[in-house]
Amino acid sequence: MTQANEIVLKQIGDVTLIDIRGDITILSESYLNDAYADANNRGAGKILLKFEKAAYINSGGISVLIQLLAKTEQNNQTIGLIGLSDHFTKIFNMVGITKFAKIYKTREDALKAMS
Amino acid sequence: MTPASNEYSIEISLPSKIGYERIAIASSAALAKMGGFPAARIEDLKSAVAEACINAMQHGNQWRLEARVVVHMNLGDDRIVVSVTDQGSGVTEFPKYPGITKIIEENVSPRGLGVFIIHQLADEVRYNQTVDGGHTMTIEIRLPE
Repeated sequence: MTQANEIVLKQIGDVTLIDIRGDITILSESYLNDAYADANNRGAGKILLKFEKAAYINSGGISVLIQLLAKTEQNNQTIGLIGLSDHFTKIFNMVGITKFAKIYKTREDALKAMS
Repeated sequence: MTPASNEYSIEISLPSKIGYERIAIASSAALAKMGGFPAARIEDLKSAVAEACINAMQHGNQWRLEARVVVHMNLGDDRIVVSVTDQGSGVTEFPKYPGITKIIEENVSPRGLGVFIIHQLADEVRYNQTVDGGHTMTIEIRLPE
């Protein structure tokens, strides 16, 4: 069984949008790390991760995201999250991701707050 | 629909390979839907079942493809009970989730996250050892009162 993510980077003002298509599992690790490295190499200071509303996210994927957050902390980058379902918003709160990244309802809300 | 007899008892057997937990997720979600569970509790069930299956594949069966993960689901009047059994001689105690601050600020391994999520979402979690040395994790999710 294979799983691929399609990730598109877009610069919106001073915010780098990382648009992640597909499920978030341990199999997403290389895709997310490559996308982050790309954003970091572009000098991104503010990163907005966009998820698909219907994405399946498990603990393996959450671990990958936490490790990505560790890198953004080291690099003093601000992180926002959008596109999460109510269920995964709840889980991200439970595991503490919201201590290090803010969840926004919409892209517009995120860009307004982060810009 | 009134749950009764074995009609609401389903069992599936999965290989120990990441991705196959989705079969158990879809099956348990369908059964819970038949039982009238609200969407939010079905989402809780899906995540708890996913983590229990991954846990059994990884820690119980140590990703040995030939070792199966057996998922038994039973729909009762006010609850769904899912038992996930591995065939492993894997770990008997799971690491405690250290919390995100320790992971990020002290570089601690993010182990124990799946079991932490299960305990947060399920109404009850039980552990048993099988006679042939495997382990069963039983998750109970109840209909809201």
